[in-house]
Amino acid sequence: MKLLTRTSLSYIGVSFVVFIISALIFYNLLHQIFKHQLDETLNEEKLLIEQTINYSDSVPDFRLVFGHMIDVTILNAPQVKTGHIRDTLMYDNELGAFASFRHLFAENTSIRNKGYTINIYKPLRDTEKLIAEIVISLVLVFVSLLLLLVFVNYFITRRVWIPFYRILNNLGRYEINQPAPLEIQHTDIYEFNLLNQALEKMSKKIQFDYMNLKEFNENAAHELQTPLAIIKSKLELLVQKENLDDDQLRLIGAAFEATARMSKLNQGLLLISKIENNQFIQTEEINIAGLIDGTLEHFEEIIGHRGITVSKNYQYPVHLKMNPALAEIFITNLVSNAIKHNVNNGHIAVTLQPGSFIIANTGHVLKIDPLELFKRFRKSDNNPDSVGLGLAIVQKIATLYRLKIDYLHHDGYHTLNISFS
Amino acid sequence: MKILLIEDETELSGSISEYLQKENYLCETATTYEYAIEKINLYQYDCIVVDINLPDGSGLELIRALKEQKSETGIIIISARNSLDDKITGLEIGADDYLTKPFHLPELNARIKSIIRRRSFGGSNEIIYNDLSILPDKMEVMVLGEPITLTKKEYDLLVFFLANKDRVLTREAIAEHLWGDEMDLADSFDFIYTHIKNLRKKIIEKGGADYIRTIYGMGYKFTDQ
Repeated sequence: MKLLTRTSLSYIGVSFVVFIISALIFYNLLHQIFKHQLDETLNEEKLLIEQTINYSDSVPDFRLVFGHMIDVTILNAPQVKTGHIRDTLMYDNELGAFASFRHLFAENTSIRNKGYTINIYKPLRDTEKLIAEIVISLVLVFVSLLLLLVFVNYFITRRVWIPFYRILNNLGRYEINQPAPLEIQHTDIYEFNLLNQALEKMSKKIQFDYMNLKEFNENAAHELQTPLAIIKSKLELLVQKENLDDDQLRLIGAAFEATARMSKLNQGLLLISKIENNQFIQTEEINIAGLIDGTLEHFEEIIGHRGITVSKNYQYPVHLKMNPALAEIFITNLVSNAIKHNVNNGHIAVTLQPGSFIIANTGHVLKIDPLELFKRFRKSDNNPDSVGLGLAIVQKIATLYRLKIDYLHHDGYHTLNISFS
Repeated sequence: MKILLIEDETELSGSISEYLQKENYLCETATTYEYAIEKINLYQYDCIVVDINLPDGSGLELIRALKEQKSETGIIIISARNSLDDKITGLEIGADDYLTKPFHLPELNARIKSIIRRRSFGGSNEIIYNDLSILPDKMEVMVLGEPITLTKKEYDLLVFFLANKDRVLTREAIAEHLWGDEMDLADSFDFIYTHIKNLRKKIIEKGGADYIRTIYGMGYKFTDQ
């Protein structure tokens, strides 16, 4: 839910509840007031009737005076003074139906030693109508006020939060491995400026740490090259010595193999950090079909040796704008991957089509999650000697050139689909 | 043959010169830019192996200085950087080859030989070894004067062996020579074995001697001893 929707809805909700409660209170209050007033009128009329009887010693027809139902009955004996005012239902002649009336009843009223009962009925119809009218007009005023407020609030909030959305947008676009810093725009709202400052500080710190780490990785890999070169060269000299027995040769051989692996690993890591550092700037149109053909030719003997057959289906010439060295590494890694993880007498199928190219190879089912394939140092356990950087490098290059790699396994084929827009 | 090795890492420089000295090269070393410039100005070399990152200057500058002298010296860059730009710049300003550290000594040796051969024989640069002769320009191989047909990899392998005869070549060095350093095929040693087997067979079939020895757990050696 959007911030604006949420605040508007809360605003409407709270206003609605407050409105209902205050309307009820208001209605009751109005009712009380009107009833009170009616009762006062009834009492006044009663007083007037008593005075009139007292004065004239007769019971005139009060209906003519007051225009509504008044009933005065003479009682035989003086009664105890009693009386009340309450609501009652009565047949209304004017209305032709039962309706609410306010009814004053007074008994006793000994006037000149005679007892009377006085009943005065006043219809509530008019008061209720009045109350209804007042309430309705108030509701109308209130609702329009509420709507106005909600709208005003909506527009004000929207205006006020504009910097916030700008910050969000900038944050969304911010990429830590890009040299461009987080865009900070000054606003005239104190809190957003605070937020901006905090974000700026944080992003600078993160970027600094990230750069530091990256630099460290790169330097570490770089600095390892020389000692590795020395070890390698010394071992190569050692191997040339005469009179080495088989056991010594085996030991040197193992050390040599490990050094070779380490140096491959190091080169891979260096390459990755170079890609991350955007050190491959120069690009040109690369003919993917030509590159794949060249790579397959390069590995021709190995492919032949393992009895692997290759089928090519070039439906469409694929040209990608890439750095030539990276393009070569990309394709070489993909192709050598398809050879390495193939089975003897297996098959490699290369397809070039509009929007994508596919390299598929037969092979055993993966023992790891396909998504893990593209992470560094992840390898399936049937190839302990491989360094495990090939596909991580492929992924890095793909990310650099916005290529999308999808892995699929079906019909015994590992399929890598490289799509581009 | 005089070679100047410009490399600030003395241990590495020591290894390289030790390996090259066995090829009967006269190998001189320089560890700084200053010293290297001095040597270049005073003496003539057949080949110069230069590291790009020197403590007091750039190897690229050395190459420029050398080229200003209109020197015919062959130049091989060795660099830890593996930077494409350095490689392109280096080759553009006149270097003959580029090797990335860490490299195999037989590889450097083979490249030096190839450069010297190209420069000193002016066209006729036949490699002769007992009953074998190779014409690198035509990529032709003869056994006892009779041509044999080799695949590209077999040919590369033979030239690599001849450049490093009487030396133990590790399988790693051979694999990297044949397929480059992007090669990460764990079972590539099998292919080397197959190539060597085929190469040996083709030479023996034409009456040539069997020169390739297998060094257990390590690699191969091309020798007539």
